[in-house]
Amino acid sequence: MSSNLHKVGKSFLNQLARNADLLMDTYLSGTVDETADNAKAVAKLTAAGVLRRGEADEPLRLAPSIRTMLEDALKDEKGRQVDTNVGSALATIKTLARHYKEAQHLHDYPAADAYLAELAELVFHLKESLRHSTRSLWSRINNEFGYVGTMDAKIRENQLAQDQVSELLGSLELFRFDELAELAGDARELRRLLVVSLQHTMVECTGELAVVQSRLLALLGRFREIQGRTRLLKGFLLHCEQHPDYQVDDHVARVNVPPLLNQGQRCLAPASVDVADGNEERALIELVGLIRRRERTAAEQKQAQADAFALGQAAAFELTDEGLKQDVDEFFCAVIDQAKQLSALEYHEQQQLAWPQEAWLYQVIGNFDSLPAEQREHFGLDPDLRDDPIFSGVKYIEDVRIWLQ
Amino acid sequence: MKTETGRVIEALLKGNFICRISDEAAWELLKNDDKRQQVKDHLAILNRTVTSAAGDTVFFCSYIDLAEDERKVIGSQFNELVGSLQPLVNWMVLVQEAGAGDEPLSEGVRVRLNELQSTIEDVPALSEQLAKIARYRLFNSTSTSVDGQLKQVFKRLCELGYLIRPNVEKQIYQATGKIEYLYEVLRFIDETESLALEQKAEAMQQEDLL
Repeated sequence: MSSNLHKVGKSFLNQLARNADLLMDTYLSGTVDETADNAKAVAKLTAAGVLRRGEADEPLRLAPSIRTMLEDALKDEKGRQVDTNVGSALATIKTLARHYKEAQHLHDYPAADAYLAELAELVFHLKESLRHSTRSLWSRINNEFGYVGTMDAKIRENQLAQDQVSELLGSLELFRFDELAELAGDARELRRLLVVSLQHTMVECTGELAVVQSRLLALLGRFREIQGRTRLLKGFLLHCEQHPDYQVDDHVARVNVPPLLNQGQRCLAPASVDVADGNEERALIELVGLIRRRERTAAEQKQAQADAFALGQAAAFELTDEGLKQDVDEFFCAVIDQAKQLSALEYHEQQQLAWPQEAWLYQVIGNFDSLPAEQREHFGLDPDLRDDPIFSGVKYIEDVRIWLQ
Repeated sequence: MKTETGRVIEALLKGNFICRISDEAAWELLKNDDKRQQVKDHLAILNRTVTSAAGDTVFFCSYIDLAEDERKVIGSQFNELVGSLQPLVNWMVLVQEAGAGDEPLSEGVRVRLNELQSTIEDVPALSEQLAKIARYRLFNSTSTSVDGQLKQVFKRLCELGYLIRPNVEKQIYQATGKIEYLYEVLRFIDETESLALEQKAEAMQQEDLL
């Protein structure tokens, strides 16, 4: 029997696992999206009681037990149901306890064991459901009913939660421990189940619920304040809209000005420094240092700007009016005019130019090299070289000759 | 040497509203009865005292005796405040509607300018509202872009002390206790003039729902 149950249960769980995607989609969206693809799976799940159809024309939904299981496993805050049906659970527990005692009395120990196991299961369930209810209330408080958008909705949710708390507290009152103790009598197992563990849970829950209730009230107060402020702002705008010529009364003209509107004139201007006060010398020197630094940086900035400007102009200036370059140009013109080989140094002497000879030679060579290629091929440059007496391969340019090709 | 008390007195005399957000140290000092009495004693020489509003959320400087001159000052300040009520309330409603939450602005609430701007730019009704608000004399913006209008409005609000910008490099603003003062003034006007503003808004909301 039990091995058969085990097998069926396993195949049921396997079926759930096989259809995990479908089930989670249903959990998230609320209803089954029935298509041709999943028709077979849906039919099987419906047969197993996992999916249920409320009315013939309604879409399929998850069975409540499966939904609760998922909510529990996922710590989902959407599960807002609080099971407050403690009364009927208690009645069942009492009945089972009587069955157990009767079976014990008749020395039917297997039956008594079965009753006790069932009783333990029920007590466990009751305790879990109480704990779950408080936990769900806490999670709702902790995110301040964040799963609903508007303030009005939050207030409604809060009121619902408060109702649930009072109902829970009401059902906790149904526990009559004197009755339960009497019922348990001297049966040790029953006492442990009915009196000790239940009482423990109940004390815990009652304490927690009291805190929950006060937190809920505080939250409600805050929500109402927020709502009141929003209404105050909107109401003011509405009033201004409805009465375009509305003027606020002159509330300060009365004999007793409300303290709220009694606002002193701002009357402090920056004070001046006492330069004669020796005690402040350090601070003053620091201040003065600050001033100078600012001036200097300003001057530096100015200079930097001026430099940048002058650089551009100076370059243009040199290009147009550089005497050395002009003289070299004239030397090249002379080469063209005379159409013969000319020595740069001889020309330098002839013209009695003021430039140092070395600079002159450099400029001549430089000018030759900087000519455009099509012009340079009309000239030839021939340096007079002298070997260095000590280092081989080092040559001195004594003079250069330029000719027209 | 300036003491902490001296600093607080100076801030009060400058007409600042002192709250936890704008100046926590000064606010803590004024919360302390002994220290507050000390400040009051100093201010008494100038016919001034410290007043708190919205249940010790903000402290500000007020007059002890009201003669002709003081009444004039209070009158002009009240007129200024009344003149800025409509733009301010309009702005607060705009921020609330553009924000994700359902909460109205209150002390310590952060406003992210970039988020606000993108929401306003996406919703034409909100950008129209912003344009209307920015044109009030209080804000005095001539800009036609949402960006320019918002920047000007927030700049003015910082100058007026309703907002602070904790980090200059970030476009995140924080509402100060002066906002709470504003609510208090509104509530005061509502009660003394029996305007029943909240009831009107509620009735309007229900009409909307119907």
